[in-house]
Amino acid sequence: MAHLGHRVDYLAGFCCPVGGLAAGKPRVLCHENEIYLSNSSEFVYVYDQEGKLLKTIYKFPDQVWHVELLPFRRQLYILCARNGIYCISLDQQSRLMKQTDGEEGACPSSVFPIDSDACIFPDAALCAFTLLNDIVVTLSQAQGKWWLKLHEFLDPEQESLPCRQISQVGFSTCDQTGDEGNALSSRFLPVLCCASSPGGAGPEEGLWCSGGFVLEEPLFSLLFGIDAAMLNSPMLLCGFPDGQLCCVPLKALSSSEADDDCSDVAGQDPPMKVLHHLEEPVVFIGALRTEHRALDDADDPQLFGDSGCDCLVAVGHCGKMVAMKADRREEAKIPEVREYYLQGPILCAACGGGSRMYYSTHSDISAVDLDWVSNASDPESVDNSAYVLPPVLSPASLSICSVVALSLSSRASEGDSELLALSAKGRLMSCDLCSPDEGHPASLTPERADQRIKELLSGIGNVSERVSFLKKAVDQKNRALTSLNQVLNVSAALLSNLDGQRPLACTITASWSRLLLRDTLTVSCLLENSSDCTLEQGWTLCIQLFTSPCALDEDPAESATTYTFPIAQLLPGSKREVTLPLGSAEGTKLELPLTISCALYYSLREILDSASDSYESLDDLLPDDSPGLSPDKEGICLPLSECTIDILQCLRLEDSTVPGAAPSIATPSDPLETFLKAARGQPDPSHEDVRDSLLPKALDTLGDTCLPPSVASIKVASELLKNALKNFSEETPLCCAALQWLLAENAAVAALRSQDVSAVRGLAPDGGEVQLLVREVAVDSLCPAGPIQAVEILIQSPSLADMCRVHQAVIRRIQTLVLEQAAQGSGPPDLRMQYLNQIQANHEMLLKDVQSLRDRLCLGEEAGTTAEKLLDVYRQLRNPSLILL
Amino acid sequence: TAGLPAALPSLSLELTVLYNALLFAVSESDGLVEGEAERISHGLIRVLEACGVSGQDLSTEELWQKVLQDVTAEEMRAPLHRLGALQGAVWLAANCLGSVTALFRLLSGTKVMLGALYRLLALLKAWSVPAEGDASPLVVQSTKDLKEILWTSAAFLQGLQGLEAGNLSAALSLLQEAAAGFCSKRVLAQIYTCIGCCTQQMGKPQMALQHLKRALQVDFQCLSALSQAAAVYRQLGETDAELDALALLYKALETPAQEAVSIDPCFLIRTELLVHTPALASLFSRSHPSEVKYSLAQRCLQAGRVGQAVEHYLDLLALLQEGPQHQVPLHGRSALPRTPEVFLEAASALEQHGRHQDAIAVCEEIIGRTGDLIPETLRIEWSCGAGGEVTGILPQERESLRCVVWRAAAYLHQGRAWTGLGDSKEAITHFTRCLNVLLRVQLVSTGTVQPARPPTTLPAWEGPPWGWLVLLQGSEPGKHRQGNGWQCLGD
Repeated sequence: MAHLGHRVDYLAGFCCPVGGLAAGKPRVLCHENEIYLSNSSEFVYVYDQEGKLLKTIYKFPDQVWHVELLPFRRQLYILCARNGIYCISLDQQSRLMKQTDGEEGACPSSVFPIDSDACIFPDAALCAFTLLNDIVVTLSQAQGKWWLKLHEFLDPEQESLPCRQISQVGFSTCDQTGDEGNALSSRFLPVLCCASSPGGAGPEEGLWCSGGFVLEEPLFSLLFGIDAAMLNSPMLLCGFPDGQLCCVPLKALSSSEADDDCSDVAGQDPPMKVLHHLEEPVVFIGALRTEHRALDDADDPQLFGDSGCDCLVAVGHCGKMVAMKADRREEAKIPEVREYYLQGPILCAACGGGSRMYYSTHSDISAVDLDWVSNASDPESVDNSAYVLPPVLSPASLSICSVVALSLSSRASEGDSELLALSAKGRLMSCDLCSPDEGHPASLTPERADQRIKELLSGIGNVSERVSFLKKAVDQKNRALTSLNQVLNVSAALLSNLDGQRPLACTITASWSRLLLRDTLTVSCLLENSSDCTLEQGWTLCIQLFTSPCALDEDPAESATTYTFPIAQLLPGSKREVTLPLGSAEGTKLELPLTISCALYYSLREILDSASDSYESLDDLLPDDSPGLSPDKEGICLPLSECTIDILQCLRLEDSTVPGAAPSIATPSDPLETFLKAARGQPDPSHEDVRDSLLPKALDTLGDTCLPPSVASIKVASELLKNALKNFSEETPLCCAALQWLLAENAAVAALRSQDVSAVRGLAPDGGEVQLLVREVAVDSLCPAGPIQAVEILIQSPSLADMCRVHQAVIRRIQTLVLEQAAQGSGPPDLRMQYLNQIQANHEMLLKDVQSLRDRLCLGEEAGTTAEKLLDVYRQLRNPSLILL
Repeated sequence: TAGLPAALPSLSLELTVLYNALLFAVSESDGLVEGEAERISHGLIRVLEACGVSGQDLSTEELWQKVLQDVTAEEMRAPLHRLGALQGAVWLAANCLGSVTALFRLLSGTKVMLGALYRLLALLKAWSVPAEGDASPLVVQSTKDLKEILWTSAAFLQGLQGLEAGNLSAALSLLQEAAAGFCSKRVLAQIYTCIGCCTQQMGKPQMALQHLKRALQVDFQCLSALSQAAAVYRQLGETDAELDALALLYKALETPAQEAVSIDPCFLIRTELLVHTPALASLFSRSHPSEVKYSLAQRCLQAGRVGQAVEHYLDLLALLQEGPQHQVPLHGRSALPRTPEVFLEAASALEQHGRHQDAIAVCEEIIGRTGDLIPETLRIEWSCGAGGEVTGILPQERESLRCVVWRAAAYLHQGRAWTGLGDSKEAITHFTRCLNVLLRVQLVSTGTVQPARPPTTLPAWEGPPWGWLVLLQGSEPGKHRQGNGWQCLGD
């Protein structure tokens, strides 16, 4: 890439949003000594280039999308988002300014709020407009169609309205309705400009100021047809966000059915014609003069003024550019259309009268020259018959980065000599494009030295801005790499220590706390970072709650809830605790046991997003084909721990536990008594929860609420427990130690420890009462060697469900205990197998009874008595209770 | 009320509210918007719900049948008939005449044994609108008014359909019925214009003129009556009257169209909203001033009024080249030919009028514009289809060929003009140029021509392109457009 010699001057700085200015809407216009600038805020600035000061600031009610100047009327037209087009007379405002500013030149600028009187086109749907002498062409979007409307300015002294609509045409681009939500399309505004034929243009200056141009023959006729040329009709060119480049003659801006309802049916051929499809949002339409005029032509000012550009260019956002030029070869009279691919994304572009087009990307402004013959090293060698467009373009860099609005100064009388640019940081600069070989004076006069120093300073400023931009980009990428490195460190640390002490651990405990005047069961997860890496922003702690499907549940669908907590920063050695409420005592039913699993999640998107802020898209950092990183599921998930919360952890122990004394636990009552109670029908609302019990629904009819407390007992050989509970102090009786062991994960266990209790009473989360009693018993008739010392754990609860939950929880603990013991290789004592067999046979008989009773229940026969019998059989099944040796 | 369960006592009010709301919606949107049918259906389903009948999954037609058969409560009669009238309007606007007829058969409760064309009108006439009780809720447009409008619209619509189908006598009687109905002046003028069209096609030009005159008396903005009148005068051979009509039309078009006359707020549903067909739209589309000017100029030239023709042609050229305030129709259905052809006709008129220098200048414009568009040699491969039509010419080549013909014709006119000026040297130069342009074309037949069936439409195309000259000579300038032989190629 070649570098052009140039000089950059900073003119002024304007405010810009934090992320920098976005391309598309900012605009810089220059006429004579004044620069008109909008930076997509609600302000329009007028800057005096000669006096180097800000003359005026106009304030509009909303964001300014587009600015056009009508030089001969000294009027500025401003498209204000969601409002319409405003018109400001420059003369009038300068008078106004003189009146308000008593001291001349004391205040460089003053803000003029523009009120709605100045709005000449109130239309909220306007997207773009362009001016052509006394004509305003507007493009708006309504009812799923684009509408081009032609308005004529009326003499304000004679007419009440500022303008009159002449005609309109509605049309739809192919994928416009479908792309309504497309982010790429909606970010861009359509581009509208006017191309005149050599005879049909008004004052050229006005055309040039509003982005229009004159296209010379035969290109005009070839592109737009002989009718438009003979009618001297300027052509409107529209570049749409979907990539279509359309043209329509200004004089035939009416569909065939003027404004009828039936235009959808009949209006199949509006005068709109598609010139090209860029397949990416059009950001610029312009024209170039690629061939040098013959010498004799140049002498004739008349001819010189009349002929215009000979090449039409359009540029898409992603870098596709199309150039159209008349083919000079004799065989075919068709325009040559050539597509080029520039490095995108292209923020803005500009061309002047010459053969160069300037375009800006995030990192640079480049110039491409479409006059390849005069640039070729040996013009003689170029075949004259192939005198069309260059096959490839070689962009020349200007080394000015992130410019969002470009304009070629019209002060330059001939050719491109000065480029005005507005950078994303809101700086307005002018770039002198004159060739540097104009003079390197041998001796520096003081004036020249002064000038030279200024040049050097502004050069330094330019380089420094470029450096800061590049630095920022490098920093962002470094940050992204650092975070990626840390993520990988953390992942490696966690994954390599799967069994041992994990460097990152998550401890889960359940406890009761009082939240908002209600007792609530909360789960707290303590994330502890004992590794030597920091968990940076981007990590998320995910906590997933599974309610394990109860085997007896009719609908065993597993349900899971996930909570995520972003971790701002977790330094090595620090902890972070999060708590989740599980449910209040009175609130929704809590399904116990709960399985809670914790995991750390890192979203890669986070890195990529931070690395690519508003400037760069994700694609810059990651090529599209990078494997396994589809944009939807990028992330790393590291499982930390999993634990089960059961009812033993959630019991609220009552203070009334009597130390040492065994509470009266009712022995299983007589079935007959139970039946009689049921027959009496005493409702007891506190026992509602039996409903989700083991029994089929028919039991409800019985009035299950008056059942006696359910009791279950588990016997564990003392030997077994003693072995397991070695770490409890010697003094603690075995029963108390066993109880403490059972309730070890309960928050209230500390109170137990000091008191040596062997029985507790507690409340389940749903309010049901549960009693736990541990006592030592001797089990005979099981072992030939004599009675076995055992510990009996008695569970009693009026709610069958709670009893079952506690039973399940106790069994789960004993199960793990037995498994640990078995691993240590202690064998069971001798047993009387015959006795055991008999127990098993009994149980099988009972199970058969259960089956038949359940069948009868399902049939609905004598529900009450059957349920009663069933309960009785269950009770027998539990007796003799489970013995673990 | 939508949230409440449907109940008969409140339904009368509910349906009236629905009726009023729909009337306003129609009036606001200036046309029948989508979704009204669903709102009516919803209302009917609620009526059925109140009677304990399920109305789900039924089409609107079936719903009406069920409602009108099952709901017999006397207090429901008036609101249901009112809603029925609105439904008829919706269907009429959508041109669903079958559904409308079926609905009014149910509403009127009679069986009419008439032909299909008159059945709907008879049913409408037989339909007795239930009397509104004093206690009934107020409506913004009474059912009686709506019935009148429906009757006019149905007659107008069916008359238009008859006119389109060529069923002229039936169309005439239906349109006359419509003219006797209840409608705005603008619609009345349109009906009279349609009657004029109809009678003209029936071969009764005087009667047509009578009706067109009445149309203009009723509403002078009805400009298509004026252009129709011009066509009738042309048929009658009354050139003066025809040119007067065209001039009047042009003058009327020059002044900006006046906006629609104020609408009586009592008539929210009007005939304009119910009758809109493509035929009507094309009949009453506003023509461009340039189109009228062109036919004025052309008619003058054809009638031998060369002086007037020249004036009109010069006006037309000025109109075409003026600023964008004067829009020109460039689309396919425009009455204007392609712009170079307009220029050629103007040149021809000037030449006939003896303004040779002006004719040469006009032709120079065409020659200058086409110069860059014609290649040195235009080689066109073409073939003949089975029916003798020319195929295989690309649109691009077609346009180049047209340019060749325009350019050659311009040279021909210049040659004639120089002859008229007595400068035979210049004349010969231009005639030679004319031939040179034509000689650029090389027609190559691609051999699909079957020898047994030579193309009949283009006899002059075989061999050297001398036939082109014949073609051009044959087109006596101004009598008809350049390149008539051409059009069989183009089409």
